[in-house]
Amino acid sequence: MAMSMNRRVFKWSTWLGWQLESNWTDPFPFIIYSIAKPIAGSLILVVMYSIIAGIGGQTDIGLFHYMYVSNAFFMFVAQVLFGITWVIHDDREHYRTLKYLYISPSNFFVYMMGRTISKLLVTTLAVIVTMAFGVFFLGVPLDILGVNWLLFIVVMFIGLACVMSFGLALAGLSFLTAKHSMGMNEGVAGIFYMFCGVIFPISILPAWGISLAKVLPVTYWLELIRRTLDLGVGIDTALAGISTVDSLWILSISTIVFAIISVGIFKLGDYVARSRGLIDMTTAY
Amino acid sequence: MKFEEEYEKPSWMVMNMRTAFGRAYPRIIGVNREPSWVFFDTFFPILAIAAYIYVYTALQAPPQYLGYVVIGGAMTAYWMNVLWGMAAQLYWEKEMGNLELYMVAPISRMAIMAGMAIGGMFTSTVRAVTTILAGVFIFGITLTLEEPLMFIGIFIFTMTALYGMGMMFASLYMMWGREAWHMSNLLTEPIYLVSGFYFPVKGFQFLMGDPGFWLAVGASIIPVTLGLDGMRQCFFGPGDGFLPLWVELVCLIILTVIFLILARFSLSYMENLAKKEGRLTLKWQ
Amino acid sequence: MTKYAVETSDLCRDFKVRQVKGESKKSTVHALENANIQIKEGELFGLLGPNGAGKTTLIKILCTLLLPSSGTAKVMGHDVNTHCQDIRQKINMVSGGETSGYGLLTVRENLWMFSQFYGMPSKLAKRRIDNMLEIMDLSDKKDAKVRTLSTGQRQKANMIRGFMTDPDLIFLDEPTLGLDVNASRLIRDFIHKWMKDKPSRTVLLTTHYMVEAEELCDRVAIIDNGKVLACDTPHNLKKLISKESALKLQIKQIADVKPFESIPGVRNFSFKHDPTTGTTDLKFILEDEAIVADIISEIPKCGSKIISVEKTEPTLEDVFVALVGRGLHGDE
Repeated sequence: MAMSMNRRVFKWSTWLGWQLESNWTDPFPFIIYSIAKPIAGSLILVVMYSIIAGIGGQTDIGLFHYMYVSNAFFMFVAQVLFGITWVIHDDREHYRTLKYLYISPSNFFVYMMGRTISKLLVTTLAVIVTMAFGVFFLGVPLDILGVNWLLFIVVMFIGLACVMSFGLALAGLSFLTAKHSMGMNEGVAGIFYMFCGVIFPISILPAWGISLAKVLPVTYWLELIRRTLDLGVGIDTALAGISTVDSLWILSISTIVFAIISVGIFKLGDYVARSRGLIDMTTAY
Repeated sequence: MKFEEEYEKPSWMVMNMRTAFGRAYPRIIGVNREPSWVFFDTFFPILAIAAYIYVYTALQAPPQYLGYVVIGGAMTAYWMNVLWGMAAQLYWEKEMGNLELYMVAPISRMAIMAGMAIGGMFTSTVRAVTTILAGVFIFGITLTLEEPLMFIGIFIFTMTALYGMGMMFASLYMMWGREAWHMSNLLTEPIYLVSGFYFPVKGFQFLMGDPGFWLAVGASIIPVTLGLDGMRQCFFGPGDGFLPLWVELVCLIILTVIFLILARFSLSYMENLAKKEGRLTLKWQ
Repeated sequence: MTKYAVETSDLCRDFKVRQVKGESKKSTVHALENANIQIKEGELFGLLGPNGAGKTTLIKILCTLLLPSSGTAKVMGHDVNTHCQDIRQKINMVSGGETSGYGLLTVRENLWMFSQFYGMPSKLAKRRIDNMLEIMDLSDKKDAKVRTLSTGQRQKANMIRGFMTDPDLIFLDEPTLGLDVNASRLIRDFIHKWMKDKPSRTVLLTTHYMVEAEELCDRVAIIDNGKVLACDTPHNLKKLISKESALKLQIKQIADVKPFESIPGVRNFSFKHDPTTGTTDLKFILEDEAIVADIISEIPKCGSKIISVEKTEPTLEDVFVALVGRGLHGDE
């Protein structure tokens, strides 16, 4: 019974998320919109690299590939974190449906996952487009036949589970924060952007930064993606001594640990919000 | 009931100044009531800036490039405020039912926008100053203001032109809801790219020759492009500057006039169109 | 010469709507059709109609929030198409069931903010707000954040927002919606007193509560499907059907009420089942009192019994039912 209800809620909320993502326009502008943003984001790095390479700075093309591929896959982190917080604020203050969902017998967590999946689908399209742009126009040497796809799928699955668990923690905190605080998800995504070796190798961080980077699962996730796609390897990432299998173990275990912590944060946020009567608050100004 | 004291209707100017102050008030007081923003809106954005600083460090870029990032990061705060704190805010006002109350009041729509801008500018300035302080004290970037008068002129006209442009964007929200919201979303990364938030816009010319020059000229329609370039020149000299400083200042003055006129026209045109189509107060678009 | 606060002439408003997503063809909904209304200065004018009748559309046009498709509308002598700013100097509006302002601000701050949009000097605004908070029995909540207020308190604050600028004409769109008896009474008393204290003040009120309209309004227009069906004082409107008889019957509950509808001479008929008492209330508007006998004789045929019979004076609701063909809430 509960299983079938959860399945229904998941299906319905995924559909709802997709509608909210896409039904504001016709398919063609939607595709353009979905492509323009990530390509522009990646081109910032391309221009930065090209200018510096042109004026005699670092010319290691491996570093460019490193930045490009990590930045493309980091979209999953940014979009999922942004998406989950947005669901809480949008449902609470815009559509005013949060309280009705909250009191319904369906599992709120499943609803959140459904809404996030639709975001994930749009992001997947953006990542594919960005990678294709890199391969066809910027010479990113992706050898599709040489990729260990099984490992890639496993890495993606664990990595996305990890990102979604972070999202859950943020959702718990979003119960308590005002609508304007979009800085929170931006900020948490910023921590990962800064410390997980997304657009520069963590080896150039100060020692404490490297230590922090090594406890964040996203660091291992991005490293594993680069290794499985064989892009940007050979750069000093401060993870060279850790084998792929060990990295996978570390990613898996840290994901489980973070997932447990995230569930705790979500429940705490939920409890505090209810005790302070914040479930249906409106905070815009 | 009888009101003991009648009041004389103030002049148009006084009325609109009171309006602007009235609308700015909730923004300013709001941040005091939700102190969480200080952390989210100031500390977290620094992380993204720091990431770009490290990219340049990894690329062994000349030191002034780190300064370019810091100034770009500071201006990001204002650009975000224009896009989300002013233009997209009308979307929320419409959903909350406040927009119709603004519309039936005998005031200029630009005064309401100015109120939002002034209120939002307070938080943006805190964010911008924090970014600069972080650049100086954490990353050891030396900022020497070589052209203080020019800097003041460029800053003032960049802001006025930018907020004029924001008012123009805001007019779209009179008519549309999510469509306009997605347009604001689309103007984030692509504008970071073409306006050179993280690299000097002259880089386009350096990389692409003449087409790059014309790309930068086109991007100069967005006031922040020339504003950023001008401010960077004021701190780091004209070496990587796109156009001579005085030319940039003149262009910004012209843009200010154009955008303020266009804003007034577009606000009135879109309001009328929305009233004709019955979308001015249409919620849940 | 009579001065009109509101004057509309053949006012129409159409909306083009796309029925199904993706369908390019749009259909036209006539929200207002040739509405002719004249509201005199100093009048408390009521607008009655079921949901979707066009009341809010009319108010939006008069408030300068919506343009008419055709026809003209003048507010305080100014055309809504061309003289919006002149109109806005003289009006304000309050909608029921809606919040206004920002949840993070206190009641007083929110009201002060709105006073600034009308150019009120700050000190005067604050004095006026305090005074009105007292009248509305909301003084103890003046420093409470708006988001913590109850529905009734929010609506009182909303009323203060609308009235504090002392408009010449105020639009009240269902101002007592969802309020309890005491809060509704307080708001009705306030409107009444506000009108009495300055005879030039004008109110356009829409409501779902017939008693409210009957108690407050000098004149009432009944509107349905975008058309004004009747417009007069409540007394005259009732006279419209005074030749007819209104009959109320309580009978033992029956399943089928259709036979009553087809009795010749029944102009209008409504009913309500009450399962808790096992009774059915029947309400008739009859062309002639003689038909009462036909109705009474029909009851045993339906297998029921009369519990009580009452001949009533027509109310505004009866007028409404007679003109619109159904009750206000669509359940009768």
